[in-house]
Amino acid sequence: MSAIEITELSKTFKGKRGAVVEALNGVSLTVGQGEVFGFLGPNGAGKSTTIKCLVGLIQPSSGNATIMGKAISAADARKTVGYLPENPAYYDYLSAEEYLHFVGRVFQMPEALIAQRTEEMLKLLELWDARKRQIRGFSKGMVQRVGVAQTLIHDPDVYILDEPMSGLDPIGRALVKDIILDLKKRGKCVFFSTHITDDVEKVCDRVGVINKGRLLVVESVENILQRGVEGYAVRVINKDGQGENLFVEKINLQSFIQQSIQHQQSIEKIEPRRKDMEAFFLEIVAQ
Amino acid sequence: MIAVIGITLKGVFRDRVFQGIIAFAVLFLFIPSASTLSMRQVTELSITLSLSLISFILLLLSVFLGATSLWKDMERRYTFSVLSLPISRCSYLLGRFFGLALFLILSSTILGSVACLVIKVAAGLHPPDRPVVWSWLALAIVFATLKYILLVGVALLLSTVSTSFFLPIFGTICAFLASGITQQVYEYVNSPIAAEVVSPLLKPIVAVLYYLLPNLAGFDLKVNAIYGIAPNFAGLGITAVYFVAYTAILLGLSSLSFNRREMK
Repeated sequence: MSAIEITELSKTFKGKRGAVVEALNGVSLTVGQGEVFGFLGPNGAGKSTTIKCLVGLIQPSSGNATIMGKAISAADARKTVGYLPENPAYYDYLSAEEYLHFVGRVFQMPEALIAQRTEEMLKLLELWDARKRQIRGFSKGMVQRVGVAQTLIHDPDVYILDEPMSGLDPIGRALVKDIILDLKKRGKCVFFSTHITDDVEKVCDRVGVINKGRLLVVESVENILQRGVEGYAVRVINKDGQGENLFVEKINLQSFIQQSIQHQQSIEKIEPRRKDMEAFFLEIVAQ
Repeated sequence: MIAVIGITLKGVFRDRVFQGIIAFAVLFLFIPSASTLSMRQVTELSITLSLSLISFILLLLSVFLGATSLWKDMERRYTFSVLSLPISRCSYLLGRFFGLALFLILSSTILGSVACLVIKVAAGLHPPDRPVVWSWLALAIVFATLKYILLVGVALLLSTVSTSFFLPIFGTICAFLASGITQQVYEYVNSPIAAEVVSPLLKPIVAVLYYLLPNLAGFDLKVNAIYGIAPNFAGLGITAVYFVAYTAILLGLSSLSFNRREMK
């Protein structure tokens, strides 16, 4: 069973003066259990619309989707989901501790487990000292951390994160990346949207690129990076002991190594030089 | 739903609007002295003023909290985080409604207790000709509470169809103002006196409005409480059934409308 299965999902909005805006157009996608999937796209591409359809905030115009085998139209499908909205806002009159307690109760967790998990999450997200303060006094980054904590509290199988690194400082971003990698190790499915291609490169197994409501490509990150290799930066040490930095094209690497051995040169370093995820993303979007 | 009721209550208690409105309760302190302005009916006036003050406070609470509760959640994007939890929109809406209803019941219990104390003081200082019937007074407060709970239902329904707070607030105020006179207007339009004056076209319009708008006249038991007159229990039964039916219809419509609403 796939963690997330989206079939021909479309969504149109009625704009001003009867204009029809096609936010999603026949998006089909499958994300497996234990997979980290990055959802890339420029602003207004349809990332958040897809996610909002998945978590029941908007109704798709056509098509369907399931989460852990359950149709998204039922509130029950969200029992196995931890969702972090883009620029999240939580009842600001509650403290972080009270909010997590509320979320735990909605997920029908036993009171003792709520208390235990709340403490764990607040400590993990470094909010323990601020746990009694009302959320209205929190910075944007702290609110984002509350958001991450509330997705984790019930230990769901599927995590749907809309721009999870947004508003976080470098320390917070590193923390969230570690959390995602830990979830991956534990066999959880993470589906997250982002603009930051570097995040995708570091944590994702596969990536999907969406633009103007159409899913343009779904590809494994490993393949993209492998395909993007243009050549290698090589450092050789000549017979006289002097070092030399060279660029060797991808197809010439084997022959270069053989020649180096013949000329009694030692190779100190071979580093692939490749297009990064950003170049891949820009290429796809530009097509 | 119980979790939503819980956070609704917490939200109201921490809301500055609530704290501001409840400050009006200070006026209870002035009721015994203000009642002495009536030379012969001090107790009766203290009951009138107490019930009016309770009504006024409950009206403000039901209009402002009822109309802004859902609107605020949508405006401040709290709905994104809450409605994505495994909770149906209907449960969320009912949780909000019952939370506010429970809060009104709590408020009227406290205000009613203070009112009883104030009336007791007034009656002790100037013993009335007719004894105060405390049970009728309690019944008047109970029905006033039901009236304002129904008004919260109106405010919630308007919140589900509106993107601003203008319609919920002003719509609820208008519905409240109209609700007190619909019965009289309906009876007048259908009376023989009106036959010559009122256009026949107006009759069906008035009839539609009569059935559409809430009729809250039956909830007013002030006269019974003030003069210790036993209420018509059959009439009260009909009013209670009307309250349940009308509120259920309001919540059903609200739920339908809220289910269709997109959280863009």
